[in-house]
Amino acid sequence: MIKDYIYDGTFEGLLTTIYYSYLDKDEVNICRLENHIPTLFSEIINVTTDSEIFEKVYRSTLKKLSTEVLRNIYYLYLSEIDGCENLIYSYYKLCFKCGVSINLAKNNDTIIAVDTMVHKVNLEVHRFTGFVRFQEIRSLVFYSPIEPDHNIVSLLSTHFVDRFRDQYFIIHDTKRASALIYNKEEAYLRDFTSHDQQLLLSQAKDDAYADLFKTFFNSVNIKERYNPSYQARSMPKRYWKNLSEYQ
Amino acid sequence: MVLTIERMFVILFLVMNMDIKNKLEILSDAAKYDVSCSSSGSSRSGESGSLGSAANSGICHSFTPDGRCISLLKILLTNYCIYDCAYCINRRSNDVRRAAFTVDEVVDLTINFYRRNYIEGLFLSSAVVKDANHTMEMLTEVLKKLRTEKRFRGYIHVKAIPGASEDLISECGLYADRMSVNVELPSSASLKLLAPEKTATNIYKPMSQIATRIAENQEDRRYFINTPTFVPGGQSTQLIVGASPDNDLTILKLSEQLYNNYDLKRVYYSAYVPINTDKKLPTIQSPPTLREHRLYQSDWLVRVYNFKVNELLTEQQPNLDVNFDPKTCWALRNLNQFPVEVNSAPYDMLIRIPGIGLKGARKIMSARRLSNLTFDDLKKLRIAVKRAQFFVLCSGKHYSPVKFDVSSIAAALLPEIQASESSLLYKQISLFDTPSFSPSPFDQLLLSSDVHTSITGEL
Ligand code: SF4
Repeated sequence: MIKDYIYDGTFEGLLTTIYYSYLDKDEVNICRLENHIPTLFSEIINVTTDSEIFEKVYRSTLKKLSTEVLRNIYYLYLSEIDGCENLIYSYYKLCFKCGVSINLAKNNDTIIAVDTMVHKVNLEVHRFTGFVRFQEIRSLVFYSPIEPDHNIVSLLSTHFVDRFRDQYFIIHDTKRASALIYNKEEAYLRDFTSHDQQLLLSQAKDDAYADLFKTFFNSVNIKERYNPSYQARSMPKRYWKNLSEYQ
Repeated sequence: MVLTIERMFVILFLVMNMDIKNKLEILSDAAKYDVSCSSSGSSRSGESGSLGSAANSGICHSFTPDGRCISLLKILLTNYCIYDCAYCINRRSNDVRRAAFTVDEVVDLTINFYRRNYIEGLFLSSAVVKDANHTMEMLTEVLKKLRTEKRFRGYIHVKAIPGASEDLISECGLYADRMSVNVELPSSASLKLLAPEKTATNIYKPMSQIATRIAENQEDRRYFINTPTFVPGGQSTQLIVGASPDNDLTILKLSEQLYNNYDLKRVYYSAYVPINTDKKLPTIQSPPTLREHRLYQSDWLVRVYNFKVNELLTEQQPNLDVNFDPKTCWALRNLNQFPVEVNSAPYDMLIRIPGIGLKGARKIMSARRLSNLTFDDLKKLRIAVKRAQFFVLCSGKHYSPVKFDVSSIAAALLPEIQASESSLLYKQISLFDTPSFSPSPFDQLLLSSDVHTSITGEL
């Protein structure tokens, strides 16, 4: 028998689910509500997110395992890759069974899968420290749409706040309808719909610097060294549509 | 002094009536042959009321169709030049569009590009207008304004102009993250031939000055934390590859010296792009990028993997092999040190195995603490086993599909050469077909059917 544990998609919900499913003898399949496809063969368990249980799991992960493991789990969750919850589940089991040192086993299949996913998320965060393009909406108010593979917008906060302390900015994940907003005092995440986006952009003036950057982009290119495959490897095409210089 | 220069330029611009877009087009086009784009080596957090920070690892913001990264706003302050270096697009005898930015224009572009997250900062260079000191003063002016008036904390890479006074270079370095003096030509013979108005002294003097100041500054900062930084991201330089008959050994020996004597952070290699026609220059159809690539690989081996240039090249074999990467070449020449047992070899030896990089070696060190590694494990660690298989043992077992001798391994590793690459190399080499310049890359291609001889030269 497979048991489908359905949770609400929050990190709190996920850790609550881990707690409830941990001792289950049956095969466990953890799934976000929005991704769940019912089958004839599985029993469905709807998990109610419980902040006390979340706290408990969170703290025991820190205490009995390590901050690194907790960070890995959080990054896996943010990866939003199909099956990331089940990977987190087996990673938890592995760590509790073998101890934190199992993370050294770079030849263990679960550890390889975890490392690979965490690397992908980290890579995307690093890339987006460069791939965000701000448009100036009003004087010193900047807006950028992004469409990352993983849910990384919260992980961009530290870098961008540190760098752009003296300007307002919004980094809008259009795929997930959420935005990182910084108001020169604090940064926070909030829902941000395409309607919000339209409203904001309707006040925008033309940004002459986007045009100048495009000029720069075109003229620093060395035609004799044309190498589009190298370009696409470093900057995958799926990101291009939000990059003004490619338009 | 400064005011009069500014006024001079204002007048110049009124006359030329050129808008910022045209200038940007001309002066970024003119700067693009400088290959260094890195924004690494400096780490600086933001500050309230200021703009910007610097990330130690550097950040790429975009990639142009040539596959190169855009990290910095790379421009010349001006491309009016009093010199006539043969390989350079901006030489005074060339009939090209000329322009000059004002200090304010550069500052404005930098700040506004930066605020939109287009760039990590500024890479400011210049042709030599009027004289070296005057040019250096103008560059310093830009940096000073960015740092003091605009409180800009992003990355700044600035060129030190050969021949500029020590004081000017010292002042400029207070505002810069990185400074570079381009060596461009790897030997004084080529310098005489292609840039007769420049002297080696003028190039190496500022370089050694900057190196000394950096060292002093680091020392000072150990005792006085508030000492302003001087070029905290270090010094770099660039060498042009393929514009002069210098061989790879000369080039890499020079790099090794620069790393050792001037503590350079990076030496960049720039495949010569044939922009000028000049009988002193080789006629090539496309830039020798494969050669450039091999030089970069060797540079890594010297800088990070602790190889000595002498291990990679010799007077008898002064050029890098086209067919194999330099580490593989070294391994094939030193087969007596192989195969290596991955379960016990020290880190320093692991990284010398073809197919195992720094990351791979670290993973092996980590994983073998828990259990002995099998050949399958190496695959799981994403080791390039296709190359490594010939050179490793896993618990005493050798997994090579071919006999353990140089010719068998070399034959198994031999890549397929594309015709376009070989014709390119032919063009490049034929010009320098003189005894002083041994045309080895081309020879090696010729010999590729019998490739082992081209690697060891002794078989
Ligand atoms: S001094 Fe610099 S800009 Fe002028 S011609 Fe020589 S290399 Fe070109």
